[in-house]
Amino acid sequence: MAAPLYVTQSGRLWHAGLILICTVGLPARGKTHISRALERYLRWLGVKTRVYSLGDYRRKVLGGANTLPPDYFTATPRAPTTEALRKRIKGELEDQIWDFLSIQGGQVVIYDANNGTREARKECYQKFESRGVHVIFLESLCNRNDIIERNIRSVKLSSPDYQGWDADRAVADYWTRIREQKSFYHTVDVDEGPYIKIMNVGEHIEVNRIEGYLQTRCCFFLMNIHTKPRSIYFARSGQSLIEHSYKADSDLSPAGWEYSQRLKAAVMARRKAYREEERLAGRDVAQEQNPLIVWTSTRRRAHHTAWPFTRGKYKVVQKQIMCEINPGVWDGLSSDEAMKLYPDEWERHLTDPYAHRAPRAESYHDLSVRLEPIIFELERCQEDLLIIGHASVIRCLLAYLVGLPPNEVPAVEIARGDLVEVTPASYGVMTRAFHFWSGEGRGDSTGQNLYENFAESALMQMQQDSVVFSAKAQDMRQEAKDEEALDRETEVGERLRRRVGSGGAFRLDGDGTRSAPMLEGVLEHGDEEVLEVDDGEVSRGRPMSVFRLDSSRSR
Amino acid sequence: MSMPPPNRTKSAHRSPALRPVGPNSLMADLDLPPPTNPHVQPVLDPIFDEPDDHGGPVDPVVLAAAMSNLNMLQKQRSNPHSASSSPVDSGPSSPNFQNGIPLAPPMSSGNSSSVPGTPHFGAQTELLKALDESTKVIRQNSKAPTRAPSVSGIGAVVEKPDYSEAKIVVAMVGLPARGKSYLSNKLMRYLRWLEYNVEVFNVGQLRRTKARHEQEAGKGKADHSAKFFSHSDPKANAAREQLAEESLEMLITWLKAEGGNVGIMDATNTTIERRDKIRQRVARDPNLQLLFLESVCTDPAVIAANVALKVQSGDPDYAGMSREEAERDFLSRIAQYERVYQSIEEPGISFCRIFNVGQRVFMNLIQGYLQSRIAFYLMNLHLKPRSIYLSRHGESIYNVEGKIGGDSDLSERGWQYARALPNLIKDNIGDGPLEVWTSTLQRTMQTGSFLPFEKKTWKSLDELDAGVCDGMTYEEIEEKYPEDFISRDEDKFNYRYRGGESYRDVVVRLEPVIMELERQENILIIGHQAILRCLYAYFLALPQDQLPYIKIPLHTLIKITPMAYGCDEKRYPLPIQAVDTHRPKPLRQRKNTLENTPILSAEPDELVFQSTTARDYFGHLPPLSVGTEQVQEDVSADTKLPTGGMIKTHGLGLAVEPGALKEALERGQETGELTPRAIAER
Repeated sequence: MAAPLYVTQSGRLWHAGLILICTVGLPARGKTHISRALERYLRWLGVKTRVYSLGDYRRKVLGGANTLPPDYFTATPRAPTTEALRKRIKGELEDQIWDFLSIQGGQVVIYDANNGTREARKECYQKFESRGVHVIFLESLCNRNDIIERNIRSVKLSSPDYQGWDADRAVADYWTRIREQKSFYHTVDVDEGPYIKIMNVGEHIEVNRIEGYLQTRCCFFLMNIHTKPRSIYFARSGQSLIEHSYKADSDLSPAGWEYSQRLKAAVMARRKAYREEERLAGRDVAQEQNPLIVWTSTRRRAHHTAWPFTRGKYKVVQKQIMCEINPGVWDGLSSDEAMKLYPDEWERHLTDPYAHRAPRAESYHDLSVRLEPIIFELERCQEDLLIIGHASVIRCLLAYLVGLPPNEVPAVEIARGDLVEVTPASYGVMTRAFHFWSGEGRGDSTGQNLYENFAESALMQMQQDSVVFSAKAQDMRQEAKDEEALDRETEVGERLRRRVGSGGAFRLDGDGTRSAPMLEGVLEHGDEEVLEVDDGEVSRGRPMSVFRLDSSRSR
Repeated sequence: MSMPPPNRTKSAHRSPALRPVGPNSLMADLDLPPPTNPHVQPVLDPIFDEPDDHGGPVDPVVLAAAMSNLNMLQKQRSNPHSASSSPVDSGPSSPNFQNGIPLAPPMSSGNSSSVPGTPHFGAQTELLKALDESTKVIRQNSKAPTRAPSVSGIGAVVEKPDYSEAKIVVAMVGLPARGKSYLSNKLMRYLRWLEYNVEVFNVGQLRRTKARHEQEAGKGKADHSAKFFSHSDPKANAAREQLAEESLEMLITWLKAEGGNVGIMDATNTTIERRDKIRQRVARDPNLQLLFLESVCTDPAVIAANVALKVQSGDPDYAGMSREEAERDFLSRIAQYERVYQSIEEPGISFCRIFNVGQRVFMNLIQGYLQSRIAFYLMNLHLKPRSIYLSRHGESIYNVEGKIGGDSDLSERGWQYARALPNLIKDNIGDGPLEVWTSTLQRTMQTGSFLPFEKKTWKSLDELDAGVCDGMTYEEIEEKYPEDFISRDEDKFNYRYRGGESYRDVVVRLEPVIMELERQENILIIGHQAILRCLYAYFLALPQDQLPYIKIPLHTLIKITPMAYGCDEKRYPLPIQAVDTHRPKPLRQRKNTLENTPILSAEPDELVFQSTTARDYFGHLPPLSVGTEQVQEDVSADTKLPTGGMIKTHGLGLAVEPGALKEALERGQETGELTPRAIAER
């Protein structure tokens, strides 16, 4: 169960103690990647966590590789001045770590350094264990040069150490640095203390004497992460008939159904465009496009929005734990009404929109706890993922991916009609928003009636900044529209071709949808398959003509 | 409510018993005859039509009425402080009949069935029906290109998620008495609770059953002393090899033909050669994944406890031997294996090596979500002796009134129970440390309020959310939604209340709680009926169809003690009167079930669940090898089972209740003789 359950006044989990996670590993083994991912997860859990990177600190104090003494990274013996310099840097950073744990109320520190020798680890272990900190070694190993080389090129070359260097020269320099360190590198032994060893980012995991609540959670997390490229998309569910009631669990409104079609088109268009962008950027684009999976909740407004995907033979998974935040007794109330009827609760809600729980409702905190298994599945999933969700759920998940602290979760805003794309970047993720729909139900005043949005209306009153994705969304309405038309055309065309054989008698002109009526009298009933065609233009309130084409004769 | 996307083949496979019968249910939607055939016809796919929908376009008057009704519904707000919560009163014009569609007649004020705080669109009022009606009409007329199915009413049966892709062979590795069977059974229990189809295939059971079979056939008693396990005797080797192969074949057949998800091969598999054979065999079926689970035990105390358990527990291998003799023989069997034992070091295979049951875990090439779940679960296990106490909250006001859900206070008798609880606990565990978990609802927090321990409140322990039916009595629901009420009774585990949860949803929500529970020592959970049923079913390995009918009475403390091969249970009822909130399965359905599954010899609500702490030395093998009736009967006679089928119902794969063993185990537990820790301290 997720940790925020135990959050205390001090911001620490009273039963978990102080934890120092020491990374161990040669350079370019993905230590920083793993550290950042772990930090993101722990922070999302509500644990006060910070990464202290020895490399970053050294760069901050001493500057890039050019300005270092030449023997800074070489094996011992080093010049005494260099040795003293290294000691000073390390000592200062460890003092800061201790400050964070002892004075600033931190609970977990991830100490991102090489810690490649037994002596270095022993020193660190003793220094912190004697102060009551539980030390764990997190060793990252890699036995594949291609991964290391890729890592160097993608991450290390952009490091300030190599500002202005020729790429190949920098890579060669980095390999030298690795070799230097390899000569005195020792893997962590069983007797040194609790450890987690990770080979090739998750391929093997060895866990030694890991006990304790947070520690096992970290293990499970590390077991699930991977570094394969994939995209995660988020979109809100379509407008439903009774927007302001949780209990009613009502159908989509006509605008909602149109939205669902457009959403599918937008995702298709975006996926194509992304591939093209990747290709232009000179990155390898795999022959086969990464398959797309759709996750949605068991609420009608969500899985009905996914309906076009279901029809399009995509894998659509409904998950009960992705249901929207439960409004409890506030169901069906506007924020004004809630304020009037429950003044005390409302007051508390304003003070802490993240943790406050209205009677019988869920707080954002409760929601995060509920969503935790989704986080793991999300990390593990290697396919492209589209999450058609509720505002509250998307807030929690995006906050996790972007790395926002819990108190900012209620302020994440994603409007209906925006598609948020999350792609992995070095040490984190990149998010981009695309605007594909401006129809009815896009974050208008009705949105504020939902409990889901109480928090943000509260925040508005408090004049705080929120993370608004729609503000910087790129417009892709036209693309989505075109894609929808194209999609329909292809669908119609394919089905027709299948029915009438390969002969060109039923050539489609321009807009495939218009050719539907000409089949009148040609097709006969008897086939289970059904084809619906409408007149192409989808607009609110206008009845669309739907044609039913049944045929078996062509077979 | 949410149903998986309609799929005609699937629905055709559903047993008629599972099919909700009401016109409100989705299945009714699906059950239409194919519409008559105009070639080009402006109607929707029959899947998406409402049942009475194939008569052509909707009457414009009806449509207009529906639209206007819907517009009005959209303006409806909760009225939490009005007892009758009749939202019509708050509508702009609030007629009870608007445009011919009846809306909620205001309920008589002071009617206790509507509670302050009951949100609107609950099933108490007519609003929900009005909404469904309007929605239906509008859907019928709207010509959107595709439509997901709509469900109306108060809920629907939801099908089990599709696990058919998961096919894993889990092969145990390890010397005898290293806790392989313990881990296998524990894993099976966990995964079955999550509705995976899991079976343990124990080579030892197969061997013993065959041996007895032969003995009965008059071929004399087979020698299964240590000699049989000698690795230098080619004949014995071949015999063991054949047994192992047979067991694996049975496992794979079961995975492929009977929809199994995880087949656990519980055997020693100690040599690389043996494991190579398994790998080659499994590789022949590309859909199967293979995971080795190696249990390494270096702690002599744990091994000693396992040996003692094995020797004392009535293993037929040692029938007629003295305890000392048996122990000597068993140790010598272990020695035979030790001579050839090769720990897993083959490259490129998925395995999990567990040292001393969870102290250290090594994982290699764990693939897929299910495998990582298995690994994480194993990581959380421990062997320390402890008990789990389950108690419902004291009787609440809602209990007295017969209402479900809500967040009411305790009744006077409920408070009595709360005050009596501390002593009951103290009598049981003394002053030892105890964790107390409650839900976030008043009644559990009030029940725990006198306990002198630190308490944690878990949102995940809140009662099953009855959605639109929250705050209603069963009678009210039956009166207002008779068909839906029946369909819930037909498949209670899978029935999800509209805007609420099903038992399955609760199980999914409780999964992280189970994980945390496995890590805890002594613990008391003050929970709710449905929640405790789910937790209880996990510990006692009860199947899903029985889960919603487990008796968890009020004012009773249930003590569950994990033992070597299952859990032991004791109940401590307190003599404080309380209403009975147990709703047995209605007789009509019960008869059906009995016809389909003759196993339910007792009435479900009267089932006394057997404790499952005994080791089963024979198992319940598929007919492939154990075929005859005679053997089946014999097994039950031998291990004092009530019936052979009982086990199948319970889905244990573990035998129940050989009295002597249970007592021995209990004694050992109480005197602390059998616990690893006790032995270590000796």
